[in-house]
Amino acid sequence: MSRGNPLFEVELERFRYSGDGDDTLAGIGLSLEAGSLTVIVGDSGSGKSTLGAVLCGMLPRHDGEELEAVFEIQGQTIRHGTGKSVRIDPVGWARHVGMLPQDARHYLSGVRETVAEELAVGLENAGVPRAQMHARITALAHRLGLGELLDRDPETLSGGQERLVALAALTLDGAPVLILDEPLAGLDAAASARVAALLQQLRAEGTALVLLTRAVDGSVDGADHMLRLRAGRCESVPGEQISIPRNEVSAPDRRHSPGTAALLEFSAAELGYPGSAASAVTGLDLLVHAGECVGLAGPNGSGKSTVLKTAAGLLNLRAGVLRQGTKRGAGVGLLLQNPADQLFERTVHREVAFGLPRSTAVKIPEVLESLGLAGTGETHPYELPAAARRLVALATVLIRRPALLLLDEPTEALDAGGLEVLRAVIGKVLDRGGAVLIASHDEGFLIGVAGRIHRMQPVAQAAR
Amino acid sequence: MHQLPRTGRLHPFTVLVLAAAVVAITTAAGRWWLHTAVLAGCLLLAARAKRAGKLVRLGAVILVPAWGSHLLIHGLIDTGGGHVLAAAGPLRITTEGLVTAGQLGLRTGVLVVAGLLCSMLIDRHDLVAAVDLSSAPPQAGYLLAATLSLLPRLAQRQRAIGQAQALRGIPLAAGPRGWWRSVRLRSVPLVLSSVQDAADRSAYLAARGFPAKGAHTRLREVPDSPAQCWVRRVALGAMVLGPVALLAPTWVGQG
Ligand SMILES: Nc1ncnc2c1ncn2[C@@H]1O[C@H](COP(=O)(O)OP(=O)(O)OP(=O)(O)O)[C@@H](O)[C@H]1O
Ligand SMILES: [Mg+2]
Repeated sequence: MSRGNPLFEVELERFRYSGDGDDTLAGIGLSLEAGSLTVIVGDSGSGKSTLGAVLCGMLPRHDGEELEAVFEIQGQTIRHGTGKSVRIDPVGWARHVGMLPQDARHYLSGVRETVAEELAVGLENAGVPRAQMHARITALAHRLGLGELLDRDPETLSGGQERLVALAALTLDGAPVLILDEPLAGLDAAASARVAALLQQLRAEGTALVLLTRAVDGSVDGADHMLRLRAGRCESVPGEQISIPRNEVSAPDRRHSPGTAALLEFSAAELGYPGSAASAVTGLDLLVHAGECVGLAGPNGSGKSTVLKTAAGLLNLRAGVLRQGTKRGAGVGLLLQNPADQLFERTVHREVAFGLPRSTAVKIPEVLESLGLAGTGETHPYELPAAARRLVALATVLIRRPALLLLDEPTEALDAGGLEVLRAVIGKVLDRGGAVLIASHDEGFLIGVAGRIHRMQPVAQAAR
Repeated sequence: MHQLPRTGRLHPFTVLVLAAAVVAITTAAGRWWLHTAVLAGCLLLAARAKRAGKLVRLGAVILVPAWGSHLLIHGLIDTGGGHVLAAAGPLRITTEGLVTAGQLGLRTGVLVVAGLLCSMLIDRHDLVAAVDLSSAPPQAGYLLAATLSLLPRLAQRQRAIGQAQALRGIPLAAGPRGWWRSVRLRSVPLVLSSVQDAADRSAYLAARGFPAKGAHTRLREVPDSPAQCWVRRVALGAMVLGPVALLAPTWVGQG
């Protein structure tokens, strides 16, 4: 491995989306040596994902998008400028620069039957012999603890499992420069540690890593360069001066004392998905009282989302008892783990207004305002940064004033401002005598807001 | 879920070539008893794979309108035949017309039922892999995979949208009116989200080398054996030579 001689150099003058009045990115210079780790920290909407897409050649996509930049990669110079648009050959570019998108699901091809085959896609298209593919996939799956998932259908993975599989696929695809957008989001502690170790090994083998993140976590240890992105402008942060707060743990909020009315009660419940014989959760006992905020923790695939979906009436109970203080389905609001599954309308306003009686619809501006989404009413949800998109999904739930609020990984993609909004929302539901159940890997957040935490075990372990 | 019945580990091409040979020969022979026997055979095979009900249902959906139109065109308003059974205004029912309608009906029946049976017996992932591993152009496999995954993908998206709408208090469909309502509510979001989804994924598909441009391999192994290879060759031969052998005498007779 030879440090000092850059694999990939970027001089990005500016980038602007079509129809935008302002540059989304400006004045960013990067020089990535083999084996280096570059961390780019930025709040939601600061332009991280746009930067990632530019670096891996996915932007500019349309003619209206303006990019002025010079890339130097493996001895080639590629110049983008106004007037002349360079068409990048995506396959050629991706051989050099690979990217893990923020919604990791997008990395999966969706045309293969099993996880093992999904992992093989890049190798297959490169013509790697079967025996060699098999060996590499098995070895990596073992490293990442994916062994048991290899025969599963990629469409039936939990959120964390999905990200892990996408990361494994990206690693196998083998580009010398990897751009990772929040690679640890939604992963449990064990998986995070395995991924961190894998990233270390990739660096040792000469891969240059660029990490896009909103909070500094375990994956950034030993970074060579730290940059902070603010409104699309980059500032370098010298190593010693770095004092970006880690996800802070706030003091628990003990204003609320649980009442006696049970809003949700599972006893000896067995949960699962139609079409899959194995149960996702067995022997579940969980009680949530009015006025109480309960955390739901557990490793990836332990069934947290399954519990919430069942409580919201999306899945049927296989065995056991589910009692609800409210009418079934009514009075229960669920924020899904992936906002893409919750949003389907053309504008934020239409999204929140969907299915509402006119009398409630007048409250939309108020709800949007309380979530810091004022002024986004006519925007397409997909044009919003990930954090805002999650808050739009939350707005569709809150507008119905649920007595029981179920939140699935609500902190994912939220920056400090978003977390503040979320805490306020939880406080308000408790204030009016409702209850909140939060599934999350963010222990710090759970300790801060939840009165107690219910810990789930993976089914296989629980059965033993 | 995706556990389609594996017909004793048959290569998808074996199933396809056999079906094509059977259809070609029965059509060329044009004997009603042969058609009926083939239809019965298809049902039997479907029953063995526990798919008889589905075959009958899907077959009926396609065949009833087709048979109806045959009957209408040839059976009820036949203009050529001499043995008139009944006639009233434009209606003219003749023996010849009914026979033609019956023959056509049986022919379409064999084609449709054999095609449906193939689609039930062949695992789509096996088929894609078989095409990928064959000497077909490298883009063919991906094109096929994309096409075959279109419907399952749409079904999945529309389930997700249904769940998202259920979370907003729109009850999941019940009864024909509920069904119609949900189709109405889901169709526009389905189209929009499919377009969005395709745009989101396409860049990554290209980055991962789709569609393959040169030599490529597959992790999946497609069940095959030398015996099946022979069966395919024989069936292929029969598909070409069978009809020729059956039809040649009539040509000679005419010439
Ligand atoms: N649609 C589905 N069909 C079949 N099985 C599924 C489906 N979705 C999830 N599973 C499986 O059910 C189990 C529980 O999944 P669930 O999504 O509830 O986990 P989770 O605790 O929320 O995980 P994560 O922390 O990764 O979000 C996992 O083994 C998962 O693979
Ligand atoms: Mg989950």
